[in-house]
Amino acid sequence: MIYNWKKIVRHGIPLLALCAFIEIFAGQILQGQQDMLIRLPIFLISIPVINGVGGNIGSVLGARLASGLHVGYISLDIKDKKMHENLLTSILIGIITYAVLAILIYFAASFSITPTEHWIGLIGFISIVLGAGILLVCVISLVSVFTAFWSFKKGLDPDDTVAPVVTTVGDTLGIVFLFLLIGVVGI
Amino acid sequence: MYAKEMLKQSLPLLIFCGLGGIVAGSTLGGMVQIFQKIPGLIVVIPAIIALRGNISTALGSRLGSAYHLGIIDAENMWNGELKQNILGSIALSFITSVIIGILAYVSSILLNVYPDPLKLITIVILAGVISALILTQLTIVIIYIVFKRGYDPDNITGPALATFGDIVTMLCIFGSAVFVEVIL
Repeated sequence: MIYNWKKIVRHGIPLLALCAFIEIFAGQILQGQQDMLIRLPIFLISIPVINGVGGNIGSVLGARLASGLHVGYISLDIKDKKMHENLLTSILIGIITYAVLAILIYFAASFSITPTEHWIGLIGFISIVLGAGILLVCVISLVSVFTAFWSFKKGLDPDDTVAPVVTTVGDTLGIVFLFLLIGVVGI
Repeated sequence: MYAKEMLKQSLPLLIFCGLGGIVAGSTLGGMVQIFQKIPGLIVVIPAIIALRGNISTALGSRLGSAYHLGIIDAENMWNGELKQNILGSIALSFITSVIIGILAYVSSILLNVYPDPLKLITIVILAGVISALILTQLTIVIIYIVFKRGYDPDNITGPALATFGDIVTMLCIFGSAVFVEVIL
């Protein structure tokens, strides 16, 4: 027998417990803003989308950098051209994805939520989601590059480290940036 | 060109995953009344979604490696190795759910919100274990189909489980919260 359930649990618990600890911070921000979220549930719908897309883009970038570092066409240098190209493309893909999804969320919400006196205009909503998305995708792409390079330098496989780091960062900062943009744009 | 190719390959999958996120988010949007009734419940949402993603994608990638190593295949899937993997995932879900419930309760008290600890921790454990049972079964089905077709499981299980995982988890939290609110 190669796999043993107790070993799987022992190896998994430390990282999962750390993630749970950080994610609870994100949860407490939601709790603090609960009244606003109940008034405007369209932002509750947006949260899994903003966080999920951020995590996915960071993971894809991390996997690409990991392959590049393993094969050798990306070097451990902050001035590496191939890395810059990957980083910029990631951010571009993020901006397009958030723009498309912001419109889709708005229309999905207008079907699933009965509009109350508290409603938000399409332009205002897109500015908030797109703004938060752009901030998140920039930060998460940099975190992804940093984690991949750091892991590779330390002799760890970036394939194992980047995904949990970027999903946790994405969940926490996604929520922070969303409320930041709600504050800046105003509702 | 390089960037154009990346755009063409990943944009459709990203938007598809985003659509899954909208379904999960709409479930969340439908829970506003329960959030008002059970203080502290909203705190566990990001943690439990992340837990689900981390545990099931790890299971998916372990089974992918097991396939490449020849330990499991489509004809001989339901063997001891697979059972250990599933048991490990379910045990991890249970333990991490308990940790999340306790952390959410303690951190809420520090911030002057007083949830009912029994209700909160029961909801998290129920949602964590039920979604683990559903998603491990779903992983096996996905892996079986991927094996039969001769695809590489590493390319498919991650995004597929991330998308279904969020939706299943949100529905499980919704269901557990309603159940606990009615019973307790």
